[in-house]
Amino acid sequence: MKILFSFLMFISLIFADDATIEVIKKADTIPSIALEDASQSYDNTFRFRFFKALVADLNVLSIFNVQRHYRTATFNDNDISFENKDMDYVLRYKMNEEDNGVLSVEMKLMKKNEDVYSKSYRVGKKDVYMFVTHAMAYDINNFMGEDPVGWMKKKVIFSRIVAPKKSEIVISDYTLTYQHIILKGGFNIFPKWANNEQTAFYYTDLDGNKPRLKYLNIKNGKIKNIIASDGMIVCSDVNNNGTKLLLTMARNGQPDIYSFNVQTQKYKRLTTYSGIDVNGQFLGKDKIAFISSRLGYPNVFSKDLTTNEVEPMVYYGKSNSACSVHGNYIVYKARESSNAFSDNTFNLHLISTKTDFIRRLTATGINEFPRFSNDGDAIIFIKNYKGQSAIGIIRLKYNKNYLFPLKYGKLQSMDW
Amino acid sequence: MKSIVLSSVVTALLVFSGCSSKEPAVDSKAQQAPVEEVKTVDTETVSTENSMVDSNTGNSASMTMSEIESKLPTVYFAFDKYDITSEMQAKIDAAAELGKSDEAKSLNVKLEGNCDEWGSDEYNFALGLKRAEAVKKALVADGIDASRISMVSYGESNPVCTEHTRECWAKNRRVDFKILP
Repeated sequence: MKILFSFLMFISLIFADDATIEVIKKADTIPSIALEDASQSYDNTFRFRFFKALVADLNVLSIFNVQRHYRTATFNDNDISFENKDMDYVLRYKMNEEDNGVLSVEMKLMKKNEDVYSKSYRVGKKDVYMFVTHAMAYDINNFMGEDPVGWMKKKVIFSRIVAPKKSEIVISDYTLTYQHIILKGGFNIFPKWANNEQTAFYYTDLDGNKPRLKYLNIKNGKIKNIIASDGMIVCSDVNNNGTKLLLTMARNGQPDIYSFNVQTQKYKRLTTYSGIDVNGQFLGKDKIAFISSRLGYPNVFSKDLTTNEVEPMVYYGKSNSACSVHGNYIVYKARESSNAFSDNTFNLHLISTKTDFIRRLTATGINEFPRFSNDGDAIIFIKNYKGQSAIGIIRLKYNKNYLFPLKYGKLQSMDW
Repeated sequence: MKSIVLSSVVTALLVFSGCSSKEPAVDSKAQQAPVEEVKTVDTETVSTENSMVDSNTGNSASMTMSEIESKLPTVYFAFDKYDITSEMQAKIDAAAELGKSDEAKSLNVKLEGNCDEWGSDEYNFALGLKRAEAVKKALVADGIDASRISMVSYGESNPVCTEHTRECWAKNRRVDFKILP
């Protein structure tokens, strides 16, 4: 028994930081937090909208038990509301409408009547209030000493099919509350951020004679042609400094993975299998992960670019048709059933290249297009369930999923 | 020792219980669970070819591009497949004959590969493309010059039918012929 116990202890120490290990139950309970609105400006509709967005953001942090009651207070009162006296934390905030429509927000985090953290925010117009609530949640998370959630402040870019051969490319926040259509009126899909600063993106234009990869600079709205290919072209991955791309092209009707040097505009074919090779992802310095049908069904493979050795990465599931890589982790989409009317058709799974563990991340519906956040802390994905499209966020560390529905259209693809 | 063996067995059971059995890549029998439909925006794509039809109506002896296009087939495929059935091969043979006729021999064709709504990833686009490529190979084997054929895949983004039924999805797994000058 002692041997078994020490063996289990050893195992748990080895894999203490392994994201493929699922945290079923935490021994300690998480602290409670309540919100108090001390705003003088704006009507109740807007105040309530702001409150709901802030509650949603605090929930996604997954470190608080968030009280959903809307309560008001006076900002400089020393005491918290009577109803909140049992709360571990109270977040009090005050919105103020300044000249030219500027929205300013003061907030303070209180613990048992004592201010423990405070900060102010300003944003040009109230319509983009959600970026303030994201920033507030981000700062509170930092104050609590948790791993940073930089992805919360990042923008999501997605393509939405609005009619056959008609799409829009939309920039949004991670909750889809803010949405700005950046490209419309054509058939443009597979947007992919071109750099970490999110100032430009690549996308596939299907309106011309040949599918063409284009580059749109958001700052000045200028569009640049990059490269065209018969059949299909998709920018699957961009390296960390934005100098190299992994493309899926089909220069002779044959979908294969190519690397593309942004500076020299030269490309190189990386896979040569006669079936389907798509969805290339940089995996460390000299390797790529990709989806291939070389075993008769789509699965995740890796290729060492120095030795040309190809090996399967996943041994579970008979149809694994999309993947995303962060460090040693690979999240992939697996088909659970060949019955399209089943409640449970595509699920996301997480594996590590260092261990044999598999963690199933979703349970129902059609879950696809997984994308790691830059820091690997979270995974964003598309969920289609009962006729509605939504963006999902998975917090790996906390084993929690959050869904944000799309109001109209069908999500085609996205990047974070 | 017994507990070690027992826990190993339990671990093995946990590991293997997650593995799916190999399932055939075909649609299984209908199980008509109600699935709500995503509403598409009422936008109609107006084809420029229609205006050419208007300008060429009358007793013109030669066929217009859109007349030729209307005689070309739609080639359908099985779920997750890109091989051509004998029934579809006969349609492609007829299309190749038309392509070699005097009216059509100067024209080019664009093969548009399409998929059903099962997945919006790159793999689905590649599947649409392999369908277009399969039709191209069949046309070339029938004597059509490869340089007259271009291809594109629209994945699941160009459905002709948007209901969530097996019949509807079967209509979307297709290759369309579009005539180019």
